[in-house]
Amino acid sequence: MTRQLERVVAYVVLVLIAIVGFAPFVYLLLLSTKRRIDIVADVPPTLSFDWNQIVKNYSEVIGSQGMLGFTLNSVIVVGLATLLSLVIGVPAAYAFSRLRFRGSESWASTILSFRFMPPVAVAIPIFLMIKGVGLQNSYPGLILPYVAFTLPLVVWIMIGFFDEIPREIDDAALVDGCGRIAVLWRVLLPLARPGMTVAAIFGAIFIWNEFLVALYVINSRGLQTVTLGAATLVSAQRPIDWNIAAAVGIVTVVPIFLFSLFIQRYIVRGITSGAVR
Amino acid sequence: MGPMSARRLLPSRDVALLLGPCIAYLVAFSVFPLLYSLRISFTDLGASDATGNWIGLQNYADLLADPLFWNAAGNTAIMVSAAVTIQVVLGTALALFFNRHLRGAWIVRGALILPMLLTPIVVGVMWRALLNPDWGIVNWAIAQVGLGPINWLGSTEWAIRTLILVDVWQWTPFVFLIVFARLQSLPRDVFEAADVDGAGRLGMLTRITLPLVLPAIAFAAIFRAIDAFRSFDLVYGLSYGGPARSTTTLSFLAFQNGFQFQNYGYAAATAYVMVIALIVATTVLLRFVHVRRADAA
Repeated sequence: MTRQLERVVAYVVLVLIAIVGFAPFVYLLLLSTKRRIDIVADVPPTLSFDWNQIVKNYSEVIGSQGMLGFTLNSVIVVGLATLLSLVIGVPAAYAFSRLRFRGSESWASTILSFRFMPPVAVAIPIFLMIKGVGLQNSYPGLILPYVAFTLPLVVWIMIGFFDEIPREIDDAALVDGCGRIAVLWRVLLPLARPGMTVAAIFGAIFIWNEFLVALYVINSRGLQTVTLGAATLVSAQRPIDWNIAAAVGIVTVVPIFLFSLFIQRYIVRGITSGAVR
Repeated sequence: MGPMSARRLLPSRDVALLLGPCIAYLVAFSVFPLLYSLRISFTDLGASDATGNWIGLQNYADLLADPLFWNAAGNTAIMVSAAVTIQVVLGTALALFFNRHLRGAWIVRGALILPMLLTPIVVGVMWRALLNPDWGIVNWAIAQVGLGPINWLGSTEWAIRTLILVDVWQWTPFVFLIVFARLQSLPRDVFEAADVDGAGRLGMLTRITLPLVLPAIAFAAIFRAIDAFRSFDLVYGLSYGGPARSTTTLSFLAFQNGFQFQNYGYAAATAYVMVIALIVATTVLLRFVHVRRADAA
């Protein structure tokens, strides 16, 4: 009897956890389908949906408020910055995982420690550097600093994945006369593909969410990223239309929802940047 | 080891080729900005002049005499300590809860990762809607049980609590996942042996389970403390530092001095106080990580 009761209590707790975790999303989704006046008038919001209103809200957000353009900017910046940080970071991780050299541990620790630097400490110098070389309001002006922000993440995730690949595989290839670079390129990269996917997804989410540097570097509306665009549309500083704000929020987080489906298995490793194993 | 070990010590050319680009890139875009920032913090650089005048430690002296700095430092300390404490307690409780077999629980568990992947700006908007004093559903819900209304973001008394609440909502899953991963990796026979010895449930928890997961808890706590200490986006999206600066954290103060008032020198000094605190914290954390790696090896 107590066993039974325990199970019931456990399920009640589970449902409560689920509500606390997901009700906020559902609420935002619900608000994004309403008319502006309904939000104020119906508390709590009703579950009746008007398809035309939904289309109207989302087409306003995606079209006239410019979220489509912001999304394209973000896709370009996220794509290129993630790619570049993999190109630079994966060989470095391979070196840390396989090669013995003086101070390798302290180099690796130093690289990880950049993950903890406060963005406000580098935002101003990066802004002045970018401005100095005339890259304000350009994609490279965002991509260059973003690669530096994601590199520690990529290096640490990839060290973990390389460490899991048996060294005998490298050794066999080395005996066959391959150089280190050739071993990495031809033998290890195909094996490390899951790791690179994880590193790419976490890097991409980080860049997608980045806000402070974008705020400094971009002041032309047409070049805003999704997060920056969303922030200006829903700024705490001015009164907003809540149905539109909610739709902006939904449009911003949908890609993250999709991404997160792919990384369930690797989440712990990803969020700690490979520091715990 | 084997015949390859001698060869492994040699290839410095390989090290340079593989590692060089990464180091060079970080020197250019992480180390240099940090040093540049340090230099700026010794000047009165603003938006109008190109270089600023060297004023030595004046910014730091001003900072220590600035009540706004101490206000922000206090808010940051409250936020970090309260948020991390609550996250550790709730996260560990969640991990213990999900560690028992419960059919269907994996769905909830898997989806709990979502909050921490979200854009803090959107998290801010979402909670501003939930907590809206006029039509937000939270005040409606607590009114049903005879509580409230609470002016979540409009009163100086509540705004910092609300900031902590939202941070807890977003990041408790982080502590949960790390502690849960540790729990899952513990060998079953420890518990079976304890069961045979007749240790009660509470005894098992306090004397066996918790000590075993303590390293994971400590790791998650330090990690979270560093991130909460730096947090900026959430403050921007949720409360914009207000009302009456009651949620202005150090990051937000540095941002306001730099971006809004374009007082770059003073902003850099504010940020550098954070950098120094973080270098100390990171050194502690990395020592901890080393211990763990040695453990695992």
